[in-house]
Amino acid sequence: MLKNLMTLAAGAAILGLTVGCQPGTDVGNGTPADDERFVVGVSIPAADHGWTAGVKWWADEAKKNYPNIDWIIEDAKSPDEQITDLENLRSQNVDALVILATESAPLTPMAKQLHDAGILIINVDRGFTEPAADVFIEGDNAAFGRKSAEYMAAKLNGTGKIVVLEGIPSTVNTARVEAAAKVFAQYPGIEIVAQDSGMWNRETSEKVMQNILVANSEIDAIWASDDDMALGVENALRAAGRRDGVWILGGAGMKDIVKRVMDGDPLYPADITYPPSMIAVGIHEAASILRAGRANALKYIPKHIVLDVDLVTPDNAADYYFPESVY
Amino acid sequence: MKNVGKFMQEYGVLVALIVFFIINVITRDNFLTAENLRNLISQNAYVGIIAIGMTLVIMTAGIDLSVGSLVALCGALAVLTLNKQAAGEAAPNTAIFMAALASVGIGSVAGALNGIAIAFGRVAPFVVTLAGLAGFRSLALVLGDGGEIRSQVTEFQDFGFGGMAVPGLSMQSGGPLLIYWSTFAFIGVALLASFLLNKTRFGRYVIAVGANERAAKYSAINIQMVRVAAYTLLGGLVGLAAVLNAARMNSVGTGSVGLYYELDAIAAVVIGGTSLKGGKGRIWGTVVGVVLLTMISNMMTAYRIDTDWQGLVRGAVILIAVLLQRSGKDGK
Repeated sequence: MLKNLMTLAAGAAILGLTVGCQPGTDVGNGTPADDERFVVGVSIPAADHGWTAGVKWWADEAKKNYPNIDWIIEDAKSPDEQITDLENLRSQNVDALVILATESAPLTPMAKQLHDAGILIINVDRGFTEPAADVFIEGDNAAFGRKSAEYMAAKLNGTGKIVVLEGIPSTVNTARVEAAAKVFAQYPGIEIVAQDSGMWNRETSEKVMQNILVANSEIDAIWASDDDMALGVENALRAAGRRDGVWILGGAGMKDIVKRVMDGDPLYPADITYPPSMIAVGIHEAASILRAGRANALKYIPKHIVLDVDLVTPDNAADYYFPESVY
Repeated sequence: MKNVGKFMQEYGVLVALIVFFIINVITRDNFLTAENLRNLISQNAYVGIIAIGMTLVIMTAGIDLSVGSLVALCGALAVLTLNKQAAGEAAPNTAIFMAALASVGIGSVAGALNGIAIAFGRVAPFVVTLAGLAGFRSLALVLGDGGEIRSQVTEFQDFGFGGMAVPGLSMQSGGPLLIYWSTFAFIGVALLASFLLNKTRFGRYVIAVGANERAAKYSAINIQMVRVAAYTLLGGLVGLAAVLNAARMNSVGTGSVGLYYELDAIAAVVIGGTSLKGGKGRIWGTVVGVVLLTMISNMMTAYRIDTDWQGLVRGAVILIAVLLQRSGKDGK
């Protein structure tokens, strides 16, 4: 009896959920009179760390600028899930897709298929391995590594003991770390006393940094390469009572860190951007190409757009501070 | 030889810990410092607290895959409660207390729901808590708008870094060596759970239900209530771990906090010699398992093992630790 009741309750709950979701998913209808109405899908990775949460937030922000387009935003935890999302979006007759791939290679065949089917493809941040996109927008990861390392070397006057914290093993991480390593190699006075991965995660970075601190009594600066990791490093420094005389260079432009750069916090003399708002650039490109007429617009829209990364210092920090953003 | 096998089966995990410890002492200059040893027992206190509860659940022949997501949900509610209390001009300590209460409360409720669906709905624990794994994370993301919920109360993070100074010991920096509140919570929870398991009727029931459900039923044990109690207890402990973690981070990243905690907790339990079949387990083994896992991470940083290889090392150690304990017969 009890079991039957529970089955019934579970069934009702699922029904309620499905019905509740209807208005959200049923966006294809639009206004029938308006034949200019486009449908655009945005496929992004799930918010598993601060930066990807920022991507979601900026996507939601950017779509508000184009109320005449039906936007469908889907996030995926894995390449498999993202491929399914893309298939579902295709069946909703999208005119364009803005794709920030969870991983480049596995998404490429699907993107190619969609492109061959005549859908406008805007690829953001992680590039497909074969030509499958009409426009590719990426941040300059090598410049991220190079500029941040150059700043660190200059601020240390070419001598000092530093720690290098890497992110999740990936092409993005490799490009950054290799570019930074090249710069550091030019300074014989700079010694990398420890190098490990903080996995772009605050908690992991705290643990790794604690272990590094125990083994190294002298550290001048930490090249943390990400703001979540920078905050983890700060936790470890605080726990060890070693916040003085050391500084951290994070990256990506989290609002809390930009604020502290702006306020002149000695722990954060600078930051380097890798703005999650690049998804908004992709959304803007998709909207304007569709509006201008695809064939026409693609004649002059650049096929590859590399977004420079900027060094944030107390002087210019106000330009990079978005207090209302989640990231 | 037979005796050696039996000894390893019983104390293999402790032997492994001691072996690793000795390797570290010999090969590393900075291993045997008070600060590093403090780090070893404190770094995984959050996972440790959860692993203790997980031990009880696994002993009932259950499993809980939802704990990592529940950390996010409890933490989100804790910080939201904290900020709301602070906005209502509650004293910081009151706000922190209310946040902890909310976290442990929602954790217990979620755990109880898991337990009820398992015990009364007769759905496999794996399935019920798999649903929780998906659902609790989703609720946390809704609360956090997909991103991070930041604490507005600076005392909250002070609490996360707070603890008791060990007299006579100091850190490299010269500051006093603190044992964090979260570490005390881990040790306290372990002692209480040991007592519960070995000295109370509830503990005997947990063993009986896990060892042989039918026999337990015929002995007039209310097996459903034992199950619900075990999951509720675990849920409450998840809430405790979540609020301690949120305090340390001064925020809750709803998408990232607690990711893979369920796997770390289960790994610690299994390394510690608790049988996934239920009915056999020990709290001290889990504690050793947690410390062993922490020591491995600690070593890999010290030896500068390439990140790409670290997972393989961790996996191998888990497997070897369990194989050692099976070296007797089928280690049931």
